[in-house]
Amino acid sequence: MSKYSVINTHVHNVDGIAKVTGRATYTFDVKLPGMLYGKILRSPHPHAKIVNIDSSKALELPGVIGVVTGKDTLGIKQGIWRRYQDLCDEQILPVDKVRYIGEPVAAVAALSEEIAEQAIDLIEVQYEVLPAVYEPMEAIKKEAPEIHQGFERNINVTRHIEWGDVEEAFEEADYIREDWFKCGGQAHMCMETRAAVSSYTPDGKLTVYHSTQAPYYMQGLLAGVLGLKEGNIRVISHYVGGGFGGKFELDGAIFCSAVLSMKLFRPVKIVFTREEDFIATKRRTPMFYYVRTGVKKDGTFCAREAKVFTNGGAYTGMGATALYLTGFFHSFPYRWKGYRYDGYRVYTNTLPSSAMRGFGAPQAMFCSEQQIEWIAADLGLDSLEMRRKNAHYTGYEVPDQATVGSCGINQCFDTVKDWTKKKGKLPGNRAIGFSAAGFMSGGIFNWFDAPYAFSSAVVTINNDGTVELHVGAQDIGQGSNTTLAIICAETLGVKVEDIKVHSGDTDHCPADLGAWGSRQTLMAGNAVKMAAEDAKRQLLEFAYAQSGSNIVYDLDIKNRWVHAIARPERGYDYAELVKKATRGKDGQRIVGRGYYTPHRKGMISPAYSYMLQAVEVEVDKETGRIKLVDSLTAHDCGQPINHLGLIGQLEGAFSMAAGYGYLEYMPYEDGKLMNPNLVDYKVIRATEMPEVPVAEIETYEPEGPYGAKEAGEGLTNPTAAAIGNAIFHAFGVQMKECPIRPEMVVNALKEKEAMGEKGG
Amino acid sequence: MEKRLLKLKVNGQEYELYITPKTLLVEVIRDHIGLTGTKRGCETVSCGACTVMIDDMAVKSCSILAVQAEGRHITTVEGLERNGRLAPIQKAFLDHGSYQCGFCTPGMLISCEALLKENPTPTKEEIREGIEGNICRCTGYNSIVRAVEAVAKGDYREEGT
Amino acid sequence: MIHDFTYLKPGTLQEALSMLSDHKDECKIICGGQSLLIVMRQGLLVTDYLIDIKGLKELSYITYDEKEGFKIGATTTHRMIETSGLIKQRFPVLIAVEKRLASIQVRNWGTVGGNLAHGDSSGDLAPTLIALGARIKLASSKGSRVVPLEEFYTGLFETALGKDELVVEVQVPPARPGRATAYEKFNLIRNDQAIVGVAAAVTLEKGGACKEARVVLSNAGVTPIRAKSAEMVLIGKKLADALLLKAGEAAAGDADPVSDIHASEEYRRHLIKVLTKRIVRQAWEQATHL
Repeated sequence: MSKYSVINTHVHNVDGIAKVTGRATYTFDVKLPGMLYGKILRSPHPHAKIVNIDSSKALELPGVIGVVTGKDTLGIKQGIWRRYQDLCDEQILPVDKVRYIGEPVAAVAALSEEIAEQAIDLIEVQYEVLPAVYEPMEAIKKEAPEIHQGFERNINVTRHIEWGDVEEAFEEADYIREDWFKCGGQAHMCMETRAAVSSYTPDGKLTVYHSTQAPYYMQGLLAGVLGLKEGNIRVISHYVGGGFGGKFELDGAIFCSAVLSMKLFRPVKIVFTREEDFIATKRRTPMFYYVRTGVKKDGTFCAREAKVFTNGGAYTGMGATALYLTGFFHSFPYRWKGYRYDGYRVYTNTLPSSAMRGFGAPQAMFCSEQQIEWIAADLGLDSLEMRRKNAHYTGYEVPDQATVGSCGINQCFDTVKDWTKKKGKLPGNRAIGFSAAGFMSGGIFNWFDAPYAFSSAVVTINNDGTVELHVGAQDIGQGSNTTLAIICAETLGVKVEDIKVHSGDTDHCPADLGAWGSRQTLMAGNAVKMAAEDAKRQLLEFAYAQSGSNIVYDLDIKNRWVHAIARPERGYDYAELVKKATRGKDGQRIVGRGYYTPHRKGMISPAYSYMLQAVEVEVDKETGRIKLVDSLTAHDCGQPINHLGLIGQLEGAFSMAAGYGYLEYMPYEDGKLMNPNLVDYKVIRATEMPEVPVAEIETYEPEGPYGAKEAGEGLTNPTAAAIGNAIFHAFGVQMKECPIRPEMVVNALKEKEAMGEKGG
Repeated sequence: MEKRLLKLKVNGQEYELYITPKTLLVEVIRDHIGLTGTKRGCETVSCGACTVMIDDMAVKSCSILAVQAEGRHITTVEGLERNGRLAPIQKAFLDHGSYQCGFCTPGMLISCEALLKENPTPTKEEIREGIEGNICRCTGYNSIVRAVEAVAKGDYREEGT
Repeated sequence: MIHDFTYLKPGTLQEALSMLSDHKDECKIICGGQSLLIVMRQGLLVTDYLIDIKGLKELSYITYDEKEGFKIGATTTHRMIETSGLIKQRFPVLIAVEKRLASIQVRNWGTVGGNLAHGDSSGDLAPTLIALGARIKLASSKGSRVVPLEEFYTGLFETALGKDELVVEVQVPPARPGRATAYEKFNLIRNDQAIVGVAAAVTLEKGGACKEARVVLSNAGVTPIRAKSAEMVLIGKKLADALLLKAGEAAAGDADPVSDIHASEEYRRHLIKVLTKRIVRQAWEQATHL
């Protein structure tokens, strides 16, 4: 019997009724009285000085209420890495120059979308076109144009991670291999494009409806860039149509609508078209990876050295974090005697790259897990056993970096081996590829310089026993409202139906860093657990007073039943206790408070999830077409909390990770995205998805609420590598670029044949 | 542009609207009638978020002029429930967690409903083909397929039917 | 945003043709609108008059006659074709093509006339119908004419439609003894547009040699392309691997494909080689079992 009443049971998503009946209102749906519609004029040039903007013709168009440009702003360079002023480099509505095709240059507010669109075409901008550069290896050359002042060779950020004596470790190696890889970008492609409705009123208060992952970050960033007090800004984000890492920074929709509203004192709504979403919202970071790995002939890992150049695009965004995490997770989940990573994020005149689900780890694993497979093949070793031999374990200390609290990777190997064995011999054009991975459960490094606890929660118990749970954690579809309601219900001893979750409103909810970096289950979960324990303790004070039992007897509440733990059959209804407690507190509701900030857990993450994935792939040898046939993922997320939510997150992560592996090609030509639409940008559909069974490996993470850690982002990491490894096992070709497109497979096979013929 | 009178039947209710002929069906549904369950997610008839039923056929309302829907029976996600009682497919979605952010869900529900109306016992393959025109970025589709299978199996048959 | 237009809704075909005649230089026809509205929304297509023929039920039909073959009205939806028992019996290839065209939603509303008139060289229906020897009937207020479908396409999104003409019917000659037709397209997602596509109709003699062949390529040029060299390779021969390889190479030679983000010209030719080989074999084997 499960020791939990609610945790890991089959619970309906608490937002279910709203979502399946069409009642859920997204920012996309918001309509306010007197609302205007905004549209953004975008730069056609990748790099140019803004000489002059003439909006007079646009202002003459009937129905146009106002136009703003960078001159209507405070010109503040903002960025989400607030702690480092030099990385705050983006004005959003630039004053002096544009740095990528699609960058906002002006914004119009009008009575209708149609009029706003017409007005955009009437704004005349004089540019002085500057030379532009699009690739990091070009941008670091001495003669490359300078994109931001003060950044020599356009190097935006560098990161260095090192432990052990790397040269000595290489000396110990019997076999060394080096490879170059190219990892593509990827678009978040949230079903709800970027959207914001801003309303500034004469009392100096700004209310913003925003499709965002982090209302508190929006509040803080807007305050900084608009010259307002945080407390005079309200950000509302009840239902969000997907985020995936793309919606926790200021975007053109929220910024331009706010600037317009502050000028016009009317609500202004800006919704990006799908095309705008593709060309003007930050993307996954494209990376060039050089990896050199040394192992002993028995497969023991000795040394690894990685040099990475990332295409940062025009602004920093969250790129500094991606640069770090890619280098850190490139070592996962293995022990290295010597490890060195040097990352260089380079400015270019392309769409800025930032954070996307996996945060640099999918790229890291694409390179690491494939090279490991090739090394095993070179040495004639079983690649799974080689991985197992070098894997992390509970308590392992990544030297100078992190301590692994709980680690279930070892149990993953046997599960995957059994599954593979049962498959037996596969037909010639099918093969299975493996990839291991690990990921963080929230980051510790407070680059936002948030003064508040990373997560907070307030539990308020009404007289009838229903519970108001206020959290700052944001539900963007990953189910955090439900997960936190489950934790609250389990801790307090009630049912999920008793909990009403309040989130997505900075006026009423405590601050929280938001939904990114896989942090909410662990961090907000801990805050909720603490708040619920606080509330329960206050309730039980009254129960103890009433029971007058011997001091050795403890009381508890479970399934709405107040009872002595030693004598669970004797008790009474929780609702009765609530009434007594409320009266006892002079009519005040019981309020419990909780919060969580990781302390003394290193500088990366308080906990790590682990996984091992096997993907069965069928490749048409003649056309190179890739078909996903089957898969199995062995996964350690500690204690699962939200059963339905977990399965959904894991299956969904697979679909996005597979897209990165073989579908979501994002080609640029001279700084212009060539496929900014859903016809030419390929997103996986129902007919292409295989079954995605997951084998849960049970571990207990001491730092997480009830032993839980992240799920849903880590699983975006292994699939591209697994697909590549499957192709390697099917045909012996090494795919060093992702997404792996059929033409690349055909070319690789042709090359292999040609070399074979030469070798003779 | 000259406006004209349009009579539209949506979810069993007659509406009289005054619109320009270039108004898209999705615009009439969302902006004129005010049923915001149906969404939009692209400009190229690709994503399916705008899917509604016209006479029990799933169609993408972003690429249909509202005037073409005159005299036809339109069903949106709001029309699936009856007096607060959810349709079997909606219940199945709840039980199987077949949605996450929920933005594609209204269109997805309509596609599933239309599929089951035409083919009450679809195979797994037929279900996948039936929702091929709807993009979901969150679920990976498999939980949606499970929900439709459950309805097809009879898990949500009303008592006494 | 869609630019303004004057909306005209004819109640009959005659009315439509007379409207066309009145406004021929400044009007566009809308039927299902599944392709048209995209370009109108982008502002790429501006028209003074929009004539809506979606409601013309008199053009929505599928009839079959042993002598004349199929007559499919222009406003017949893809879905009607896809679910037609009549068509399934005689030309199952058309059902197969429809099942992989766009999505059910698009097929429920989009029409065969609209699809063919749009003139997209990467479409699936046109090459398949050309392989079946289809003809297209065009009508104007002055009368009507029937044109072989392969002569209907004159350039990139250009057709032989006169300014005052309307596509009213597609005619597919009756099934021929000993002939089978197959179509396959290459793409990454099952129902996406063809990166390339190949339709093949193979007619066999009693002895098993190829009497007649039609090989038609999709997205291999500005119009659907009859790969006549490939056809010549096949005629008179018996089925053999080497023959199919040769046919594939010939088809790749007949093609004039572009390089775009989905495929280079070289890769498209390679795919045409492979697909031609496979599809001709498929049609040939089907014909053998007739």
